[in-house]
Amino acid sequence: MTAALTHPITRFIARRLLYSLVVLAGVLVAVFALVHLVPGDPVRIALGTRYSPEAYSALRSASGLDRPIVEQFFGYLASAFTGDLGVSFRNGDPVTVTLLERLPATVSLGVVGIFIAMVIALPAGIFSALREGRISDAIVRITSQFGVSIPDFWLGILLIALFATTLGWLPTSGYRPLLEDPAGWLRHIVLPALTVGLVAAAIMTRYVRSAVLEVASMGYVRTARSKGLPPRVVTFRHTVRNALVPVLTITGIQLATILGGVIVVEVVFAWPGLGRLVYNAVAARDYPVIQGAVLLIATLFLVINLIVDVLYAVVDPRIRLA
Amino acid sequence: MSTLTGESTRVASWRLLLRNPVTVVSAAVLGVVVVVAVVANWITPFGVNDVDVPNALRAPSGEHWFGTDELGRDVFSRVLVAMQASMRVAVVSVAFAVVVGVMVGVIAGYRGGWVDTVFMRVVDVMFAFPVLLLALAVVAILGPGTTTTILAIGIVYTPIFARVARASTLSVRVEPYVQMSRAMGTGSLYILGRHIVPNIAGPLIVQTSLSLAFAILSEAALSFLGLGIQPPQPSLGRMIFDSQGFVTMAWWMAVFPGATIFVIVLAFNLVGDGLRDVLDPKQRTMIEARSQR
Amino acid sequence: MTKPAVLAAVGVVVAVVAALSGCSTGSRVDLGDDSSSNLVAAIAGEPDQLDPQKTSAYFSFEVLENVFDTLVQPDANLEMQPALAESWEVSPDQLAWTFHLRRGVTFHDGSPFTADDVVYSYRRIIDQKLANADKFSAVTGVTAPDQSTVRITLKQPTPNLLTNLGGFKGVAIVSRRNVESGQIATHPVGTGPFVFASQKSGDSITLKANSAYWAGAPKVSGVTFRFISEPSTALSALQAGEIDWTDSIPPQRVASLKSDDSLTLAATPSNDYWYLALNEARPPWNDVRVRQAIGYAIDRDAIVQATSYGTAVANQLAIPKGNPWYTPYDGYRHDIENAKRLLAEAGVAPKTLDMLVTTEYPETVTAAQIIADNLAPLGITVNIRTVDFATWLDEQNNGHFDMLMMGWLGNIDPDDFYYAQHHTDGSSNAQKFSNREVDRLLDAGRVETNRNARGDDYAKAATLIADEASYIYLYNPSVIQAWSKRLSGYEARRDGAVRFSTATLTAGGAT
Repeated sequence: MTAALTHPITRFIARRLLYSLVVLAGVLVAVFALVHLVPGDPVRIALGTRYSPEAYSALRSASGLDRPIVEQFFGYLASAFTGDLGVSFRNGDPVTVTLLERLPATVSLGVVGIFIAMVIALPAGIFSALREGRISDAIVRITSQFGVSIPDFWLGILLIALFATTLGWLPTSGYRPLLEDPAGWLRHIVLPALTVGLVAAAIMTRYVRSAVLEVASMGYVRTARSKGLPPRVVTFRHTVRNALVPVLTITGIQLATILGGVIVVEVVFAWPGLGRLVYNAVAARDYPVIQGAVLLIATLFLVINLIVDVLYAVVDPRIRLA
Repeated sequence: MSTLTGESTRVASWRLLLRNPVTVVSAAVLGVVVVVAVVANWITPFGVNDVDVPNALRAPSGEHWFGTDELGRDVFSRVLVAMQASMRVAVVSVAFAVVVGVMVGVIAGYRGGWVDTVFMRVVDVMFAFPVLLLALAVVAILGPGTTTTILAIGIVYTPIFARVARASTLSVRVEPYVQMSRAMGTGSLYILGRHIVPNIAGPLIVQTSLSLAFAILSEAALSFLGLGIQPPQPSLGRMIFDSQGFVTMAWWMAVFPGATIFVIVLAFNLVGDGLRDVLDPKQRTMIEARSQR
Repeated sequence: MTKPAVLAAVGVVVAVVAALSGCSTGSRVDLGDDSSSNLVAAIAGEPDQLDPQKTSAYFSFEVLENVFDTLVQPDANLEMQPALAESWEVSPDQLAWTFHLRRGVTFHDGSPFTADDVVYSYRRIIDQKLANADKFSAVTGVTAPDQSTVRITLKQPTPNLLTNLGGFKGVAIVSRRNVESGQIATHPVGTGPFVFASQKSGDSITLKANSAYWAGAPKVSGVTFRFISEPSTALSALQAGEIDWTDSIPPQRVASLKSDDSLTLAATPSNDYWYLALNEARPPWNDVRVRQAIGYAIDRDAIVQATSYGTAVANQLAIPKGNPWYTPYDGYRHDIENAKRLLAEAGVAPKTLDMLVTTEYPETVTAAQIIADNLAPLGITVNIRTVDFATWLDEQNNGHFDMLMMGWLGNIDPDDFYYAQHHTDGSSNAQKFSNREVDRLLDAGRVETNRNARGDDYAKAATLIADEASYIYLYNPSVIQAWSKRLSGYEARRDGAVRFSTATLTAGGAT
């Protein structure tokens, strides 16, 4: 047991965890400051047009806005730990409940998007790496540059125009939960996930390619070849399998990036996820929701990055000691 | 540093760059884009906000190269001016990010110690936020508009420059001539200006090109969401948003603004790639080696 | 750690994520128990709140029309018919109305509907000075002599009392318990054909049929109102069979939809109207000549065309043609030279104009761009300020604007069209218009029981209002709704009220 505790991996994980917590604390402060830096009176905006002075002071003290700001911050922290992120200014729903309601939609979009990205990027990246320097490599590289340069909302709109409006094969918007209506879930998720996935594929192809190239130039591959193993065997067994782990970690990073970047895609497809929630909340100045959603997304981002770092270190001893 | 053939570094860089046809073409495209952006206001065939409702939704023609939108405005003119606005936002915001980010990164890398730790932790917190989310948050505080967009994008891209600058500074800091200068007691500012900054320029230039590409995409996304450049000022993102209701009736409203964004961003990315090939020592040696064969 | 362990760990993560994405929290009422007869309606925005006496958003009323009742309600011809009140009498001196209430009506929470509820509802509006208090401006007392009778006493004869009490659900009968528990804004309880079941913020509101409804249980099992702000999205959903009804239709598609056999399209002339208002509390807009200049500078036809694609009718007054109270008026025309002349006469040269519009109603954003172009030759730069609706309402009520564009929906009686907005004491007079003659005419119209004299009063008042440019009227839009061929028993109404109580869905539900 003690051996496990002092194992370099455990120490590394502990260090990374601590570091993540520090960053998370910073995120909490930033998110809190964000909302309280806002000009304009959130209580007035929440109450709308006609209200009485009593209603105003009631909401103000209920929201705790009449307490000193430091006290408000710790109050917020305390409730956040118990899962209470306040209530929406727009409709009074608890923020935590709303966030949890919207999470599945965004998560499924992210996961399917990543899946599509991997299905495209893995073969393309490997192919491109193995044919390095040749025309086919150049073609793949330029194509992936195309994917990176295209605005995702534009791509989404064009896909809708082609596959949904003109051809009528797929729905133009909306979401169905997987467990309730699997066929509907699939039909509705295709276009948005494609939009997300194609762009992510473009980014990942480059990473896959360079990961494979790096592995291919490593010593043991050359040794394997010199041992007389047929080239194809060498390729698959050593190159690809060894490149797979950094690729998996890149997948994790991409997933995190997608979670933050789905806002625009969710708006285009009227996707009821976290991204669209944040967008609507920003438009309506619904500060508790903005605060909660930003916190959740940033935390998810951090957690995924943490997992990725740990995975990476577990496999690559050199990183651990850094 | 000298190449195998002994020429000075700078000249060889240009020649290597020019060898890559993709980079050359992209740079040429960028050149055209910049020129157009600068003179946009003078070359628009129609007024940007000249409403002409009877001529709404006309297909591209000799008179309206990119067709007209739902209010009869000339899409070509609007694309030109919108391009100018996008470039302006991108350049100013990235300039902001470069100045602030490099300062933070160089100081952190050079000084080390707790200065480094504090600066980099703040940078890490900023990295904890996905790009668009952070930009949205800034806009939520300051309200939509061009200035806010510039500020938001600038803030969002500062961390990457800080990191790149710091990493480069760290590696340059241990170079012999820098160590010697410090030993001789030369002032820090002088060392920074004379030795460090010029030598970290390579990766920074590459990052600038790439960040410009992403800044244009970010501005387009913010404008698409209605949080960036406000109507009636044309913006590429907003034009795409407005085109949504008309995609099947007036494809030109969606296609031309989107294609414009695509071309500009692609050009920046390809030029950035080409620059990286040349300015990144590792890559460069391989290319030079290959070109000797 | 070995590779298999890594892969296993990844596998676990993937499984967890897949499980997460499969679940949805919250009750699954949006598909209904019997999904094939649940009506799915798409509206263009989300209600800001569900308290009928406080909200002013059309989206809220689209939903609340089906949840609440009023004492009387308009039929298809906008004549007032019995609803919660079965019959009524007016005293000979016109100052007291007695309503006999329907018996056996219950609220959705089971509590019985009585006269006390009517008294409570009306007193709430009057005493708390809620949004529609001016509908009760002539009311001196509301009492319940017994549990099925309500007596309303007035200080002057009020020919339009019935439309005031039932024109729209802003004066609906609410439950005291629902209000006092604070639930009404998010979980309303009414007496209407449908019961509020749940709301998924940003997505939908679900209602279930009220099997005990006094006019007969609805034939659909429930209604789900989905919020789809992009009209083309809503339309595609309708054409794909994903929804059964929508009023969120891109006006530019109406012409082509008329010949689409897969759905029923209704473009009904409505009693709504859109207008521009200049803030008379801010110079130079307090000078009538300046306001008239703006009236001459704008290109009304272009605005009508761009916002409605020919489905609306330009109108320089509020009441539409075809309405018995219609008054023709065409004092303004698109004439820039005249506009310049008026400005010169007034001796002012405004450089900027702050125009307040909202994303909630995209027609205001479209029109604003045309107006910006229209006013440029006058040397006026229009700053278009686009905000969300809550902020828009705030800014309007605080007078933070030079000009705004908005519409009033579903008016019935001429008093509805003019009083609140143009009387000096009107509750919706955000532009701070004040004209003694208009006040006199509007007050007279309120009590005039002679139909012709009344019509005269309003014709004169309207003409003055337009001459003085209190509002610069733009057009009367059509109510444009489309629904699937499976939906019957529904018709589009001129007052824009969306009533599903008699709707039926034939088999083959929307998913």
